[in-house]
Amino acid sequence: MNNRIREYRARFNLTQDELAKKVQVRRETIVFLEKNKYNPSLQLAFDLAKVFGVKVDDLFFEEEQGQ
Amino acid sequence: MKRSYLIFTVITLVVISVIGWIFNSSGSLPAFEILQFGVIGLMIVFAAYFGFTRLRSEKRGEPAEDEMTRKEMQKTASLSYYISLYLWLVILYVKDRILLDTEVWIGTGILGMALTFGIVWVIIHVRGLRNE
Repeated sequence: MNNRIREYRARFNLTQDELAKKVQVRRETIVFLEKNKYNPSLQLAFDLAKVFGVKVDDLFFEEEQGQ
Repeated sequence: MKRSYLIFTVITLVVISVIGWIFNSSGSLPAFEILQFGVIGLMIVFAAYFGFTRLRSEKRGEPAEDEMTRKEMQKTASLSYYISLYLWLVILYVKDRILLDTEVWIGTGILGMALTFGIVWVIIHVRGLRNE
């Protein structure tokens, strides 16, 4: 699974620290998410989508779709 | 915050015990004990890293633990437990062939388990936690 967290974070002018605080996780978790080294729980995926005001499937997608 | 301080308290107690152990050993230390001190040293560094990252997160206003750290710990614990079973099997096999005190074998097993946990955690942390 791939994601557009880095893209949306840049669009919303948020730092990794700020995003981490908004969704109540550690900054390291955001780093791992952006590097595609961690697949989040449904709750975290929904929380992230809520911060950016998008649907979960706008933020997360299958790897083939992003290529 | 309490748990972070608990980690540092345990580290301090371990360091004091190791210093006591070194001072009580008569003469020069055998190679095997030096190896044990090395492993204990590594574990202290590992625990200190955990303690500092927890404190840093708390000071930043982030949770000390989140879903990723909990998943990492769960996966590390389950995998290192599985590997430790084989470690004890190896110790059971070797103990009849090498003459050492029972306490030394037990100590080696415990240190081996701690080392296994540390190595597994590093591998999982570097590789990441993607659904496989």
